[in-house]
Amino acid sequence: MHIPDGYLGPQTYMPFWAASLVSWSIALKKVKKELSAKEIPYVSMAAAFSFLIMMFNIPIPGGTTGHAVGAGIIAILLGPWTAVIAVSVVLIIQAIVFGDGGITAIGANCFNMGVVMPFVSYWVFKLVGGGAAKGPKPYVAAFLSGYVGLTVAALLTAIEFGIQPLIAQGADGRPLYGPYPLSIAVPAMALEHLFLFSILEGVVTLLLLKYFLKSESSLIYTLRAKEG
Amino acid sequence: MKNEIPDFLLSKPHLQSSVVTDGASRISFLDKGVGDLSRLIKTTYIQWETAEKNGFFQNLDARVKVLFLLLFVIIVSVKQTLLPEVIIAGFVCILAALSRLSLISFYKRVVFFGFIFGFLVALPSALNIVSHGEIVLPVIHLPQSYDFLMYHIPETIGFTRHGLEGVVMLTLRVLNSLALSVLVIYTTPFVQIIKALKSLKVPDLFLMILTLSYKYIFIFVQTVEHIHLAKKAKTIQTNAGEERNWVAGRIAYLFRKTSIRCEEVFDGMTARGFTGDVVLYAHRKMTKKDVIAGSILLVVGVGLLML
Repeated sequence: MHIPDGYLGPQTYMPFWAASLVSWSIALKKVKKELSAKEIPYVSMAAAFSFLIMMFNIPIPGGTTGHAVGAGIIAILLGPWTAVIAVSVVLIIQAIVFGDGGITAIGANCFNMGVVMPFVSYWVFKLVGGGAAKGPKPYVAAFLSGYVGLTVAALLTAIEFGIQPLIAQGADGRPLYGPYPLSIAVPAMALEHLFLFSILEGVVTLLLLKYFLKSESSLIYTLRAKEG
Repeated sequence: MKNEIPDFLLSKPHLQSSVVTDGASRISFLDKGVGDLSRLIKTTYIQWETAEKNGFFQNLDARVKVLFLLLFVIIVSVKQTLLPEVIIAGFVCILAALSRLSLISFYKRVVFFGFIFGFLVALPSALNIVSHGEIVLPVIHLPQSYDFLMYHIPETIGFTRHGLEGVVMLTLRVLNSLALSVLVIYTTPFVQIIKALKSLKVPDLFLMILTLSYKYIFIFVQTVEHIHLAKKAKTIQTNAGEERNWVAGRIAYLFRKTSIRCEEVFDGMTARGFTGDVVLYAHRKMTKKDVIAGSILLVVGVGLLML
């Protein structure tokens, strides 16, 4: 889901850079306001944590592997604005240092996985879980938050790919950037995420929340926010 | 006499580094994940080493290199014909050679990712199911054409000229962008990139989080390796389900360890005078050499834009 350079035209990546810059600026203000100086290294820790979650490729029936993004669980544990910074920082490091995802596409990648996904996951968790810490509700909410968060991010990515042939064509009608139209990009991304990767994200979110509810429930931001 | 040997010692052992499925032996996903982490550290060490070499790009100010990277990835993305892309590919190759980088390891990394994300992903788009135009390479002949929903499958499926041109263009774009990034990464220490970003007015708080995250990644990669080795040394047999549960438990444990390390780091920062205000040191002044090299790169960039 990391968009490389070359697939998005300037008409797409420029607005996404702008949207991400605005989101980072708001997130930094919120993080500065909400976190004490002592907790600022904590955001970096969350970013490193997200990076490692992405490195664990788990086998999926059919012989392929997939990895979780971790944006959902970070949003549940640390709050959505902290997740915006943490996941974006990981995506920037991956693009600059490890060549995973394009430089021009940093804005779009961060918007999809670093802004939309944490907020969707956070809202789904709050809506379904309703702040419950016991019974099956928080587990269902955790699974759905990971599942829906990644699916929405994947659909957004597919739309960004799919609109390229519509908005950027050469004089001969040839697509200048991503070549796949919406009719191919959306079903391809939707199917593999609805039936594979989003399930994995949901399971990882559920398993991690299960551990935290059992042994470290005081660390969960979403439940603290409810109490507060 | 009753056999008192525990069951687990009687069962046929299998190598922990492999999971046997349907007679086929595959590397366990855990081993693979940890192997990927080790490779990541190795790659970064190579980057640190090449960034210390006495080459053309290594001796330039990081601000010049970051601006060069931003300018050229934008040029790569806006050019619509093959010629400028080929010129950029040649130009990057010359810069890599002048920077005394091993061209084999440089292009191994660029071509590997470029082949996957550029060529393989884009290739199906050259078929006449997606692209229109003259078929230059027929692949399959069907008895008749098919239509369902919004899709049309023609009688003859093959690669079109337009489609193949598009794939070549996209592959070159991906390769050029990757080559530019790798050139800058291989010739610039991460700390210098951060300082250059500071001069581009990126907020200090964001840069501090970025720097700390980069450092923590390596600390935690080592921790994960240690956890994994300890587990391997103590485990006789396991299955995929147990491994999944173990991974989830270890990720959560890592998060807890993270928060403990966070408190230690903060204490260390406080002991060194951190008061809560994040201030990064500014860059040194640019030398004449940086200005000349920067101007040459700018002229090449403008020339390519006008091409």
